[in-house]
Amino acid sequence: MSDLPETKATEGDDDDRLRSLVRGALRGEGEAPDVLTGFQKKVRERSGGKFYAEGWSTSRNPPEFTYLVTGLLMLVALVVIYLFLSLLSGKPSRVDNEAAPVNVVAPAAR
Amino acid sequence: MPLPPLGGPVYRGGDLFPGWADLNHDETSEERFLERLAAHDERAFNELVQAYEQRVYRLVFRMLGRRDEAEDMAQEVFVQVFKAIGSFRGDSKLGTWIYRIAVNLCKNRIKYLGRRHSSDEEELEPVAERSALDDRKSGAVGETSRPDHVVEGYQIERIVQECMAGIDPDFREVLVLRDVEDLSYEELCEVTGLPDGTVKSRLHRARAMLKAAVEARLGEKIR
Repeated sequence: MSDLPETKATEGDDDDRLRSLVRGALRGEGEAPDVLTGFQKKVRERSGGKFYAEGWSTSRNPPEFTYLVTGLLMLVALVVIYLFLSLLSGKPSRVDNEAAPVNVVAPAAR
Repeated sequence: MPLPPLGGPVYRGGDLFPGWADLNHDETSEERFLERLAAHDERAFNELVQAYEQRVYRLVFRMLGRRDEAEDMAQEVFVQVFKAIGSFRGDSKLGTWIYRIAVNLCKNRIKYLGRRHSSDEEELEPVAERSALDDRKSGAVGETSRPDHVVEGYQIERIVQECMAGIDPDFREVLVLRDVEDLSYEELCEVTGLPDGTVKSRLHRARAMLKAAVEARLGEKIR
């Protein structure tokens, strides 16, 4: 019984050595390859093209620049259309509302 | 697990992935993200894959020991996540759930490869870029490595890799998750679905099996 702590300590040391050996042997994995593209391809194929069928959904990063450019273009288009329509529009013609002449007819004598 | 910012390194995991949990946590955005996943939102899955691909790839590579298999398996893990996301009830962390899928797929693959006797094509990592194992053996860091020690170290690493490949997948699983991936016992239980006592005894037996196998190959005790 007296050597129990020592035995436990030895076992712990052995575990640590083994752990460091395992860690060392399995540590080399390098950078992950492009998992996303392969995943998208598999889902596209297996879903019969229901998912990941179009370009924007398969890009690795959201196309923020495209969103920005599209937004700006839409804004410019709206301004141009507004200006164009303002040029076309004429001023409303003035309406003079004169009081209609009222002829009071005297009742006919009986 | 907060929502990823647009274009950033996105989604962060919980405790399973140390260092990620302390980033912005927002339960509402997490729920929204899970809803997007459940609705098979392609962008949400892109973010998910980008957030987890490194860790999933490393895990499956360590389990399978083969780069070509690992790449395919990592993709397959996310395909399974895509298919099964509707059954994710949030009882465990999303990261734990993904790890569980990865581990189960790897175990099936190992059994399949074992039946095909193709495990002799192990290629865990070319040893060319490794630092010396004599550092690991002696515990010394920063010493200049002697070439014979380096070669010996590489040989030992190779032996450990081969012995790991020979271990039953159920035991290899706990060794990789605990000793390489550094998962806590709690996380180990969640990923394996085993009770705490079983995990500990399985880990103990796995280490003993590996130690015996390595020592038998080396012809000496691990020092």
